Amino acid sequence: MKFRQTITIFISKLTIFALHLLRRGGTTLPGKLAFKLYPDILKSIAKDFEIIMVTGTNGKTTTTRIIEEILRNNNIDYITNKSGANLLSGITTIFIQAVSLSGKPKHKVALIESDEAAFNQVTKHLIPKTVVVTNFFRDQLDRYGELYSTLNAVKSGLERIGDSTTIVLNADDSMCASLGKNTSKRVLYYGVAKDAYQETSEDMNSDAMFCIYCKNKYEYTNHIYGHLGDFYCSNCGYRRPAADLECIEIQEASSSYTTIKWKCTSALLQDDKELVTRINLPGLYNVYNAMAAAACGLALNYSIDTVTSALQSFECGFGRMESINVQDKTIKLILVKNPTGFNQVLSFLALYNQALNIAFLINDNLADGTDISWLWDVDFEQLNNVPDKIDGLITSGVRGEDMAVRLKYSGVDIRKIRIIKDYQMLIDEGLKKTPTGGCFYILPTYTAMLDIRGILKKKFNLKEFWK
Amino acid sequence: MFDLNICHLYPDLLNTYGDRGNMLALQMRAQWHGINANITNVTIGDKFDSSDFDIVFLGGGQDYEQEIIQQDLLYQKGAEIKNAISGMKVFLCICGGYQLMGKYYKTWDGKEIEFLGALDLWTVGGIDRMIGNIVFESDVINDSGNPIKIVGFENHSGRTYLGDDIRPLGKVLSGNGNNGTDGFEGAVYNNVYCSYSHGSLLPKNPLLTDHLLSLALRQKFEDFEGLGKLDDTFENAARTTVIHRILK
Repeated sequence: MKFRQTITIFISKLTIFALHLLRRGGTTLPGKLAFKLYPDILKSIAKDFEIIMVTGTNGKTTTTRIIEEILRNNNIDYITNKSGANLLSGITTIFIQAVSLSGKPKHKVALIESDEAAFNQVTKHLIPKTVVVTNFFRDQLDRYGELYSTLNAVKSGLERIGDSTTIVLNADDSMCASLGKNTSKRVLYYGVAKDAYQETSEDMNSDAMFCIYCKNKYEYTNHIYGHLGDFYCSNCGYRRPAADLECIEIQEASSSYTTIKWKCTSALLQDDKELVTRINLPGLYNVYNAMAAAACGLALNYSIDTVTSALQSFECGFGRMESINVQDKTIKLILVKNPTGFNQVLSFLALYNQALNIAFLINDNLADGTDISWLWDVDFEQLNNVPDKIDGLITSGVRGEDMAVRLKYSGVDIRKIRIIKDYQMLIDEGLKKTPTGGCFYILPTYTAMLDIRGILKKKFNLKEFWK
Repeated sequence: MFDLNICHLYPDLLNTYGDRGNMLALQMRAQWHGINANITNVTIGDKFDSSDFDIVFLGGGQDYEQEIIQQDLLYQKGAEIKNAISGMKVFLCICGGYQLMGKYYKTWDGKEIEFLGALDLWTVGGIDRMIGNIVFESDVINDSGNPIKIVGFENHSGRTYLGDDIRPLGKVLSGNGNNGTDGFEGAVYNNVYCSYSHGSLLPKNPLLTDHLLSLALRQKFEDFEGLGKLDDTFENAARTTVIHRILK
C-alpha cells in the first residue's frame, strides 16, 4: 500500500507541476487522477492533519478566509483550499501538495472549505476536529435537488465522523441549528440576538417556513433576513437554541464596514464582558460570517485578541468583494449566486452614498446553476427605494437579456437598463459613467466572475488569482 | 378603467424556481396595459372564495411543502376550485401546482397519493429528474394565427399523462415536457393553463401573459375589446436568444 501511495503522490505532484508550467489554474485534475490510482489516498495522507472544515450554502468562502486570518495571527502553519476548489477532487489536490512523497504532512492544520453537496462524500475521507456550518439557503436547486436533501446529506456527513468533532452552527437558521439536536458532539451556536437589528419586512418567499420536525408554521419574535431569526414552533416546541456567541447590537452599518457589539458565554470565553468590534466588511450577511469564524477560532482556543484583530483587518479575496483601482475610480466585484446573497448585496448597495452604476453579469453554466429562475426570487424591487441614486444598470453574460427582463419587471426606470454583451465595452461604459472618486459595481455569477476577472487582469495588469 | 383580482394560492409553500416572476409579469403587464391588478395571497387555513378572483396562480413546491398543503387543498379549497374551473375562471398552474390539479401522483415505488382531481390527468414519479431548458410550440396561444414558441426551464421527476378531454399546451421542440415520451408539454382545460415550465414562464413569454390577461378581462367585462401592444424588446431578446441557442 505504501508503494502505491508513494507512486500516486509522485504522479499527482508531477501533474500539479506540469499544470503550473502550463500556467493553468486547474485544481481538480490532480486530485481526480490520484483517486483513480489509489482510492484511499486522501484518507491515508490527511489523517495526521488537524482539520477545520467549513460548509453550508452561503458565506463559506468568507468564513473560511476569516478563520485563515485567525490562524495567521497565531502563526499557525496551515494549508487551505482556494478559488472554489471545494469538491472532493480539489480538496485532494490540496492535501497532495501538503505532504512529502512519503505522505508525511508538511503543515499542522488544514482549513478546508467544502461544498455542502460534497460534504457527505468528503467526510468519508477526512475526520475534521471542527466543522462550521454557515446556513442553508436555496441555492442552485437544479444541481443539488431539494434543500432538505442537502441538509440531510450534511447531517449524514456529520453522523459519520464520530463524537470527537466540535460543530459550530448558526442558531438563527432552523435547518442549520437542527444539526445540533440529538448528537453527543460538542455543539456551539452563534447568532444575532433578537434585538440587535430590527427587520421591517417579513420575507414571504423564505426557504424554511415550516417546522422541520412537525411541519407547523414557525413563529418569529424577530426576523434577521431570509429565514434567519428568533424562530419557534408553537406545536412541538422546537426553537432557536441559545447562542454561545452572539451579536447583541449592530452599532453602525456602512458601505465598507460594520461595527457590532457581541459577547460569548463561558463555553467560549471565561470573561463574559461585551466586546465592540469593527468588522472590516459591510453587509449583515458578513456579520454572520464573522460570528461563525470567531466562534470557530475561540472553540479552537485561540486568544480573543487574535480573533478580534482578524475581524478588524480581514480583506476579501477572489471577488467575494474585490476592489480594483483604475486611476481615480474603483471597480468593485461582488459575486452573486443565490437570492439571499444577492438581496444582501442589493441592500448594501442602497447604503452607497453616490450615484449607482451597476453591471449584472449572469451566466448559466454548470458552476453557476443552469437554471436562472432564481433571479425572480431576488428582491430587485428594493431598487425602487432609491430611484434617484440609480444612474445606470447594465446587464450582460450568457443570460444578460433575461437579467434585463428581470430588472424591467422590478419596475425600475427602463431607460436606465442597457444590455451590453461585450465585457470590454461594458467596463469602458461603466467607468465612463462613474464619477471621479466613485465606484462601478460589477455583480457576476461564478463563471462570469472568472471571465470578467480575466479581462480585468489583462486590462489593468492584476496578479493571478489562484496563487 | 378595468381591473383584475389575482389570487396567489399557497405563495408561502408553492414558491420554488422563481414562481414569483409569474405574478410580477401578470401584475406589471396589466399595469402597463392600464389595468389595475390586485394580488391577494391565500394560504393554508385561509378562506378561498373564487368569486373574489379573476385569475388564480399555483406554483411549484418541494415534496416536503406539497405534503403540507395536500389536506387543505383537497378538503378545504378543493370544491371551490372545481367550481371556479367549470365557471371558466383563469388558472395558471406550474410544476407541482400542475400535478396537484390532477387525480393522483403515483410514486416510483407504487404508492398512490390522491390529488385534487380537478383535471383528468395524473402523474407517475420517476427516479431520474428531467432538468433543462425547454422550448415548445403552442397553437393554443397564437400570434395572428401562427403558433408561437414558448421558452422555459423544466425540473421534475414526475411524468404527467393527459386524459381525453385535456389538450396539451404545446408540442415539445427541445426538452422533455409532460413525460419525456409523447412529445407534449403542459395542459389546457377550459381556462386552466398548466405547464412544467418555469424560469419564470410568463415574463419571457409576453404573448402567453397577455393571453391569460385577455381571457380574464373578457370573462369579467363585456365591453373589453382586447389589449394594445407593448414594447417587448427585452422579452423578445431573452426568448429568441434561448431559442437560437437551443434549437441552433
